[in-house]
Amino acid sequence: MSRKVRPAELEIARLWLAGRGLADVASTPMLAARLTVRRRARVAAALLLAGFLIATALVYVSALPIRTAEDGFGTDQRGALAVLTALTAGLVLGLSLLDRRVRQVDARVGAELPRRAAHSVRPGWRTVLGVPRLALLTTTYAGAAVLAIAALVTRDGAARYAAVILLIGVCGVAAGTVVQLRHVLTHSVVADDEDSLRADLLMRVEDAREVALPTAVWSLPVVSVFDTGLDPWNTGWLVFIVLSVIAIALITVRDGRNALAARRGTGARRTA
Amino acid sequence: MIVIDPASPVPPFEQLRAQLAAQIQERVLAVGTRLPTIRRLAADLGLAVNTVGRAYRELEEAGLIETRGAAGSFVSAAGEQGRERARRAAAEYAAVITSLGIDTTEAVRIVQAALTRSVPESG
Repeated sequence: MSRKVRPAELEIARLWLAGRGLADVASTPMLAARLTVRRRARVAAALLLAGFLIATALVYVSALPIRTAEDGFGTDQRGALAVLTALTAGLVLGLSLLDRRVRQVDARVGAELPRRAAHSVRPGWRTVLGVPRLALLTTTYAGAAVLAIAALVTRDGAARYAAVILLIGVCGVAAGTVVQLRHVLTHSVVADDEDSLRADLLMRVEDAREVALPTAVWSLPVVSVFDTGLDPWNTGWLVFIVLSVIAIALITVRDGRNALAARRGTGARRTA
Repeated sequence: MIVIDPASPVPPFEQLRAQLAAQIQERVLAVGTRLPTIRRLAADLGLAVNTVGRAYRELEEAGLIETRGAAGSFVSAAGEQGRERARRAAAEYAAVITSLGIDTTEAVRIVQAALTRSVPESG
């Protein structure tokens, strides 16, 4: 390995394997390095998103109170929206760079393997992400966009401004998610035997499911939309968010049960 | 699973070809299964695109896979048909052996001799 792996990282890799029913698989520096870079990238992505939400909130409040011009928003609002668009592009770029760092480490680790293994049939998005998660992700983003566009059409003043803020944010985060998911689904396998191939698939599944969590869609309305008061439209937003959180919880529980059943099945086959 | 060992004396394209051919013949890869794209498999295995391309080409020439343009490469039904032909020929051979009153050990020896003659020496 070009970078020395610390014992603590190896121990985390061992626990990671044990937690996924792969206790019999040895924790290797290769796996430790891949898990470490992912852990750091996830923390950085969470901070990036938190920073984006704070910046969005600042952009929103910086242009208040709303003074509607004849042709739409006033100069303050238009300037704020331009800043928000730049921030959104920065978010997508930042997420993409974090992804790139993960892929770089994967490629470096892969190049150091004495031999290489791959699936003869590559697991597709159904295996990696699953239909329920993709359906929920699509529905959440589409629902958020529809609610924001509906507000643009039917409301005015502060609510319209909040809806534009939300729409730009949702579009940016959706673009970032698409870029990240594409990376996860297409990046090269890093494995040299069956065990590391299984670990690689599990890692890919976790990467995809992490990316597919619509955290930003749940958080963005809090920044701007809910400031306009708890009217029926905002109540609809709250219901929408709560329902999607419940849906993701149910999908996660279902996935956990399926994984447990599969693990028991594998264990039974091994002992038979 | 496919494993490529660069330290092996067998060239990587042959390792790949042999493993895919074995999986197709053993029906691990069913007829109609879509194989990874050449570029993707090359990246996964750390091989040159041409190396994977050569293995796929040879599998295609052997009738084990077929390429359907941009849709990709798929396990061909030709392998199944070949197996079926072999089964039919074996049944016919067994009928001849029975009619001639040749015992099973002798019959198997005849087949082995025929197979040894038909397979060219390698290496």
